[in-house]
Amino acid sequence: MSQSRQINVSKNGVPVTAIVALAIIFVAGLFVVGFDQGHIFSLVYGEEAFQDLYLHELTHDMRHAAGFPCH
Amino acid sequence: MKTFLFILIVIASGAAAGFIHGGMNLIFVEPSLDQAIGIENQHLFASGEEKDTPEFWIKYDGYRMWQKSGQVLAGGILGISIGALFGIIFALSRNSLPGNTDIKKALVLAGIMWLMIYFIPFLKYPANPPTVGDPETVVLRGILYLVFIAISGFGAVGFYKLSKKLKTKKLVAVVGYAAFIGIAFVVMPENPDQITAPMDLVNNFRIMSAFTVSLYWLSLGVILGSLWHHYKPHKEIIPFN
Repeated sequence: MSQSRQINVSKNGVPVTAIVALAIIFVAGLFVVGFDQGHIFSLVYGEEAFQDLYLHELTHDMRHAAGFPCH
Repeated sequence: MKTFLFILIVIASGAAAGFIHGGMNLIFVEPSLDQAIGIENQHLFASGEEKDTPEFWIKYDGYRMWQKSGQVLAGGILGISIGALFGIIFALSRNSLPGNTDIKKALVLAGIMWLMIYFIPFLKYPANPPTVGDPETVVLRGILYLVFIAISGFGAVGFYKLSKKLKTKKLVAVVGYAAFIGIAFVVMPENPDQITAPMDLVNNFRIMSAFTVSLYWLSLGVILGSLWHHYKPHKEIIPFN
């Protein structure tokens, strides 16, 4: 009678898909908190977003506190 | 490696450390931010750009409430972002990192990354509170800061790889990196803005800012290391008959 079993083995390989997904998260998150000056919302609201700066104001305090240039 | 579990652990640990960072900022950094924005308001009144009226303060309170509520949310976003980079490097270097547990390995890497991509760049371009910073130079300052972080981070990886290839001692890589970053420190332009705010306020803000960012890195190392140790995403289940 055949019996199906499983073992845990350590693999050194890190999946490329995981690296790509995490790299995208890294760049996007860094841009939102550290550098956006209305760019992201301008994709929906157009030029007005550069005046309103909603995202910039939302991340404003963390931007200063984490050491990113602001104003 | 279990891909989904790996990504989940990295995001969860980044978010948790980021929320801790945001929460700590509310306690330790916000008082300096309020003080600095108070000075900005005085400048606005003095220049006639705004008037010291009840309407101004209602608008101001709503504006600050929006900014303060964003502190913890932005902490989560930034935490996940930096945590994603940390997770990639941890997964790639785990077998080479010193330490006999995943928590120790993660703490060693967190310490190295804190030094290379936060603290050394902070020494060159320290954090500034509101009132310091010309809006005209914000893009230039952003580029300078990012470039210096990249120089430091890639420099550290480069010297580590070089020492491995040449089979030299790790100390040689450390000395090489120190000389390299020392040159970059001198060659890179200074922050173009003058500090016009009281230095007591600026220094207090910088100390508190560095303290909470350091807490973030410590939390990230402990949380990711603990989750990795518990869930072992590097172990793959392979069926055999």
